[in-house]
Amino acid sequence: MFSKILIANRGEIACRIIKTARRLGVKTVVVYSDADADSLAVQMADEAVHIGPSPAAQSYLVADKIVAACRQTGAEAVHPGFGFLSEKEAFAQRLLDEKIVFIGPNPPAIAAMGDKIESKRTAAAAGVSTVPGYLGEIADIAEAVRIAEEIGFPVMIKASAGGGGKGIRVAWNQAEVEEGFPLVQNEARNSFGDDRTFIEKFIVNPRHIEIQVLGDKHGNLIHLNERECSIQRRNQKVIEEAPSPLLDPETRAKMGAQALALARAVGYDSAGTVEFVASGVDKSFYFLEMNTRLQVEHPVTELITGIDLVEQMIRVAAGERLALTQADIGINGWAMEARLYAEDPYRNFLPSIGRLRRFSTPREGAHDGFSVRVDTGVRAGDEISMFYDPMIAKLCAHGPTRSAAIAGMGRALEETVVDGIGHNVGFIAAVMDERRFQSGDITTGYIKEQFPGGFVGMPASPTQRALIAAVTAFAEALLSARAEKTSDRLAPPRAKSCRDYVATIERVQVPVKVCLNEAGADLTIDGRNHRLETDWRPGAMLVTGRMDGAPFGLELKRRPLAYYVRHRGFAGEVMMLAARAATLYARLPERAPADTAKQVISPMPGLVVSMEVAVGQDVKAGQTICVIEAMKMQNILRAERDGKVKTLSARAGDSVAADQVLVEFA
Amino acid sequence: MQHILDELEARRAGARLGGGEKRIEAQHAKGKLSARERIDLLLDEGSFEEYDMFVEHRCVDFGMADNRVPGDGVVTGWGTINGRLVYVFSKDFTVFGGSLSGAHASKIVKIQDMALKNGAPVIGIFDAGGARIQEGVESLAGYADIFMRNILASGVVPQISVIMGPCAGGDVYSPAMTDFIFMVRDTSYMYVTGPDVVKTVTNEVVTHEELGGARVHAQKSGVVDGAFANDVEALAQIRRLIDFLPGSNRAKPPTRPSFDDPERLDYTLDSLVPTNPNQPYDMKELIETVADEGDFFEIGANFGKNILIGFGRIDGEPVGFVANQPMTLAGVLDIDASRKAARFVRFCDCFNIPIVTFVDVPGFLPGTRQEYGGLIKHGAKLLFAYGEATVPKVTVITRKAYGGAYDVMSSKHLRGDVNYAWPTAEIAVMGPKGAVEIIFRGEMDDPEKIAQRTKEYQDRFANPFVAAARGYLDDVIMPHGTRRRIARALKTLRSKQLQNPWKKHDNIPL
Repeated sequence: MFSKILIANRGEIACRIIKTARRLGVKTVVVYSDADADSLAVQMADEAVHIGPSPAAQSYLVADKIVAACRQTGAEAVHPGFGFLSEKEAFAQRLLDEKIVFIGPNPPAIAAMGDKIESKRTAAAAGVSTVPGYLGEIADIAEAVRIAEEIGFPVMIKASAGGGGKGIRVAWNQAEVEEGFPLVQNEARNSFGDDRTFIEKFIVNPRHIEIQVLGDKHGNLIHLNERECSIQRRNQKVIEEAPSPLLDPETRAKMGAQALALARAVGYDSAGTVEFVASGVDKSFYFLEMNTRLQVEHPVTELITGIDLVEQMIRVAAGERLALTQADIGINGWAMEARLYAEDPYRNFLPSIGRLRRFSTPREGAHDGFSVRVDTGVRAGDEISMFYDPMIAKLCAHGPTRSAAIAGMGRALEETVVDGIGHNVGFIAAVMDERRFQSGDITTGYIKEQFPGGFVGMPASPTQRALIAAVTAFAEALLSARAEKTSDRLAPPRAKSCRDYVATIERVQVPVKVCLNEAGADLTIDGRNHRLETDWRPGAMLVTGRMDGAPFGLELKRRPLAYYVRHRGFAGEVMMLAARAATLYARLPERAPADTAKQVISPMPGLVVSMEVAVGQDVKAGQTICVIEAMKMQNILRAERDGKVKTLSARAGDSVAADQVLVEFA
Repeated sequence: MQHILDELEARRAGARLGGGEKRIEAQHAKGKLSARERIDLLLDEGSFEEYDMFVEHRCVDFGMADNRVPGDGVVTGWGTINGRLVYVFSKDFTVFGGSLSGAHASKIVKIQDMALKNGAPVIGIFDAGGARIQEGVESLAGYADIFMRNILASGVVPQISVIMGPCAGGDVYSPAMTDFIFMVRDTSYMYVTGPDVVKTVTNEVVTHEELGGARVHAQKSGVVDGAFANDVEALAQIRRLIDFLPGSNRAKPPTRPSFDDPERLDYTLDSLVPTNPNQPYDMKELIETVADEGDFFEIGANFGKNILIGFGRIDGEPVGFVANQPMTLAGVLDIDASRKAARFVRFCDCFNIPIVTFVDVPGFLPGTRQEYGGLIKHGAKLLFAYGEATVPKVTVITRKAYGGAYDVMSSKHLRGDVNYAWPTAEIAVMGPKGAVEIIFRGEMDDPEKIAQRTKEYQDRFANPFVAAARGYLDDVIMPHGTRRRIARALKTLRSKQLQNPWKKHDNIPL
């Protein structure tokens, strides 16, 4: 076993690897860029080595610096985590040459699977079923269109070197190929320095199911069952689970056998993942790609198998034989993972980077009917930087059944608070509460199909409405009672046992009578009696307690005349007025909000790549106005309606802030 | 006997209707509450005691003799806000358009006098059409009587104006002399001369909203201290404001129990100041982290945004926060920011409210616009205000404190009581780059040398320890302990005594 390893990564995965290494008695070294100098990983590791400026291309992607850090610290092995250098054959080879152990597969195996086109040929040869497509490289738009037409729409345009959801676009017709192909090429060039692009058939109603494999340097190979990762937005995974609700034991065995056949064919000797696209209709499946590294979503496999994949990777890299055989691998319960992203689901999941003002998650370990695991690399006060993947944390819930895992995840999300940046906590909660997801009838198009206009928040259910009314009225009563305890009064306050309020939730007025007591409050909401138990006090953003005996967590912020409330998929302002104020308020006519359709507003901070319109130009609804790049993603902003361009407030090359007006129409 | 009692009830009922149901409905249709509804929402339930309900005007010209309404267009009296005494007048647009007659003015004057005598705030609610033209000079005399009380009450009792409808001509000058003015968006406007006159005189075509709407005054002119969405919100916020203010300059600000531990540490503050000295951060986060329960009542949020001012509490005791805001113009001091903060500092000083100042200021804003606009004198207002203030002053420098702006921002030299700095503070005459360009002008052609000099300067001054070594700072503190340290400092200053030399009054550079 190694005495010291270096982690060539950052964020939550670096922290996660440190935890296992520490348990094994292995010392850890992390490398860090300028942006990560004060990161949790640096704090947790035994040693930390600075390797350069914030952009990954000048730090985490520079093999020389990693090797130098190993030399400097005497680390015997490198765990690459995922992303960055994890799937670079040259890096693995370089370490081999330098007599440093790469905690991952051998270089030829990486090479064989690294290129999406090559890997398909290898898979087909190993008897693995593959998707119809054109495996050659494509020269230009015209050729792309011709090939797409041969394969038949819809098609998927992908960067050969792509990964992590970047450099992928689906085209449903010729026009979309013409638009998408150059964008994919651009993204591929910017993100991977390799603009080779290919096209394949896009399978309708597809599900993303992958098999975790694990091998050693002695020819042993086992699989650890599957994960389903169909819940994706912009082809990037958000919610993963294990096992898959689609697979029966027979299909699982078939898929596992194919995955092992491929792994064997390339001499695989570490943890890896064979990804398949499966049809929800007939359970047929096709090979997509093999990821020759640890996956982001590996925790769900660990939860259902009880196996620490990082530990296994370290052990086999050190030359140990796998202590496990296929017969040791079972499925214990069900695990869900949600990726908490710094992104705004209300704005088509665009990145929302910045300072994480508040961040808290439920405690790890056993809860009532489920257990929680949290993988994160940030703390409150940290910056979600524009330089890297905007993931805040991975939240996992493990329960005896799928419905227990879903319920557990819902509860865990209630007690998760993210403040200061946009986040997808409410969105994930909405998915957990959604019937189709609960039924297991999901596809990779689930988000688009289930939230066609984008995510706009969920309406409050009757139970939620009572909870929200209760908590906001309780808060208001507590604050009012305290305000009355001021000094300098004409007379002491008359003890008021109960107060009457009207909560306006989604435009519906709900009368609430609230009577504070030692443990919380007794309430009458819409004529029904409820009991709220909570020890919340003003200043805290998270309210936890029990409503009529049922545990809950709810995020609460004070606003003028109102409270901002987030509970599961619901988020919004709840107006809270004393009963007499509500009567008067009702007399005032509603005012129309300002018209913003005449403007194109930057949805996020980023760089203007191109401005496609000029002052005075007539623009049709849907026409491209400009392209903004943020987090290496190009986003096309389109006109919401027909109009003539009056002013341009940004040009190509400008950095723009979120909500900055870019173009105004006459 | 009973019929006499009934008679009173009938008269009261009549007076309460003001201009009648129809006009009250018209008021609602415009999105406005009636004068009495406003008072009802402003004050504790059932606490309002009305005075001069039966006052009528004395005018007999232009047919006014037969046109009298009890109350005469303004509702006046007193009540409580969270149990504390306030005097209030509320213009009644439904009666003669709320216009000001001699009788109407004397009602206001009466409660102003009472407030001054009894040491309680005056809240005026404006929704009126100006002078009662039929009364001529009597109306003008009435205005002047009110103005005179505004002037005498200034600095003695808090005076707050809420503009909830038209407020033009003579009506604007009473609010103008009060401590705070608030407006309601879309339903109120305020100007000296209206669009018609503007058109006649300057040929400029402008709407009420463009000339004197809430947005104009809250963002451009800085005349008002806040704009609210509607009457209900505005009145609720005024209640919140009153909770911070003492009844008069003879009283301490009110205290109340806090749910928040004064010893609370917050480690997120340790990473508030970014590593890159040119990167902004939100100073409001510091205020909200330091204040009890994160509760900050910001004043003038949309004007001079490079400085933040407002009220909060620390361990249940009100304080005024003043803080440079790096998010806007790097937190520089310009004309607007200096004026805004100076007036606030003086308000706090008048009413015994301790001032907590957070400093991250790169200096004063250069340029012809600022110099032509009189930055010298406006900047001096803030300097003057801080220097003359005798209330407890606690200052924390978070990052930059450059040049004269360092002196201005409640420095030790201006009688700052307790002055702290975070380890990230840089106290110097200017930033390293500018300093080196002046000191080592001769070496400007050698970029290597200049880089070396810049580093030397940075190492020497880009820290708080030079200032700390001279005692200009009392301590360098950990960011996470800021609330605790401020709370402790304020406790030591509770019985602070400091007097300025006797003078009739000072001569601040107005």
